[in-house]
Amino acid sequence: MLELKHDLKLQKNRDEKARMNFVSGLRAHILNDMAGGMRAVYDAEVEPQFLRQQRRAPKDGPEVHKAIKTNEYFKFYSSLRVTTQDMVWQTVFPPLERNRPELKEKATRLKKQRPLGSLKLKKNFEVPRYVSAIDVHLMSGNYDGEYEAEDLAAGALYDNGLAVFSFGLMGQNLDDIGQSIAGAVRVRYPNFKPRKILDLGCTIGHNTGSWKDQYPQAEVHGVDVAAPCLRYAHARAQAQNREIHFHQMNAEALDFPDESFDVVFSSMFLHEIPKKGIAKVLAEAYRVLKPGGLMLHMELPPNDQLSPYDAFYLDWDSSYNNEPFYKPFRDLNPREICKRAGFDPKKYVQFVSPSIGWYGEKAWRGALERHHEVDSDKTGRLTDGVMWFSFGAWK
Amino acid sequence: MSTRKPMRRTIRGGRPYFFADPAIDKILNMVVVLGGEVWTLRERLAALEAIHAKRGALKPGEVDAYEFTAEQETALAAQRKEFIDSLFRILEEQVQSARAQGETTAKRPASKRPAKKKKSR
Repeated sequence: MLELKHDLKLQKNRDEKARMNFVSGLRAHILNDMAGGMRAVYDAEVEPQFLRQQRRAPKDGPEVHKAIKTNEYFKFYSSLRVTTQDMVWQTVFPPLERNRPELKEKATRLKKQRPLGSLKLKKNFEVPRYVSAIDVHLMSGNYDGEYEAEDLAAGALYDNGLAVFSFGLMGQNLDDIGQSIAGAVRVRYPNFKPRKILDLGCTIGHNTGSWKDQYPQAEVHGVDVAAPCLRYAHARAQAQNREIHFHQMNAEALDFPDESFDVVFSSMFLHEIPKKGIAKVLAEAYRVLKPGGLMLHMELPPNDQLSPYDAFYLDWDSSYNNEPFYKPFRDLNPREICKRAGFDPKKYVQFVSPSIGWYGEKAWRGALERHHEVDSDKTGRLTDGVMWFSFGAWK
Repeated sequence: MSTRKPMRRTIRGGRPYFFADPAIDKILNMVVVLGGEVWTLRERLAALEAIHAKRGALKPGEVDAYEFTAEQETALAAQRKEFIDSLFRILEEQVQSARAQGETTAKRPASKRPAKKKKSR
């Protein structure tokens, strides 16, 4: 298990740590070893049978899914993955319940001792149904669940759960995506000096902070709909000595004026919202971007750039991990949706950035110079050697 | 006075099952939770043994011969109960949702409650 490196992390006893270690280890086993095993079973049993029956190979992810569904290995892989996903959160609940009063005190103390950045929450804010009605990735209470006044427990559940979930692949403070992508922007566009940066759907701000690290002079803002995550995000940023401004806003209708940001970023966000919402978010990103600014979304790679098997593999979450908008998002063409939001298709960008944590800074920098095909069993997959996909456009 | 409610631990949107009989998925869950607890014990034992070895306090055969005190037995019994609860937690989800349903029905005025079906035997 990954130990978070900031002051808000939960205090756990020996057994609680051991349980988390076990679940992290189990996830690594499922997502590395068993994922490899399932591919082998597919190649040896599932695809040959499909070929015999249909006289052609499966043409897309859903056909692979349909063909593999009845295979026993798939059933064990899937059932174990669901159980382990649930256990991720279950290992956090007992220490979190015990730590809740202390967590609130710490947040209050940080506000007094290290007043950095800001937090703006709204009274009577309406959380969209696609957040309030479902427990995404089987996380009980979702991002917005509140159990007392000024609650930030949901943020702590996500932070500490993600540490178990990611088995070290998402960085020391779960900021590998932010560090890898913000770093890639700085290396690739050395003349670009953003002064105002916005992170959409920032949850606990774990990737927002990386922009402040890469561009210390910039004013960095994060928006989300979930109040407990934002309270936690602000405390977490203060614990890490980062000046970040958090706002409760729906990214589909931002309160910011036109042309006010140089960068509009998001990570693992668009796949959590329905297609109509995605169109609105991209249109809002276009509106608030200054001319010459960059919109960039770190996301799962689109289905039309993946082989049928890899498309099926990533879509697993959509079918079985309470991610109803995950496949519909991945079925969209990123260039096309940017164009529809008003961006010039000639100014479309997409790249695959190796994980800085996995490959190390030197290899990461070297790898940035080379072109990476999106179609790979490492892109967007939580597995050893993970690479992050991102797309967007210049305005 | 505390208005702190315990966090909810059930899943809105449900949980997928893969085997022809969902009982198999549930038993697999129990096996894995059990595996986790076995591992947890091994880590704890490793920590204990390391501490004792460091102090030179553990002799061969000492653990096998040890008898718990009454207080230790009481504490262990409580922990054992927690352990068993956690092992079978997955079955409680059905019970919790059944209880929640029962509560909603009980809150409704009697006139609006669905008429009880007559038992046919």
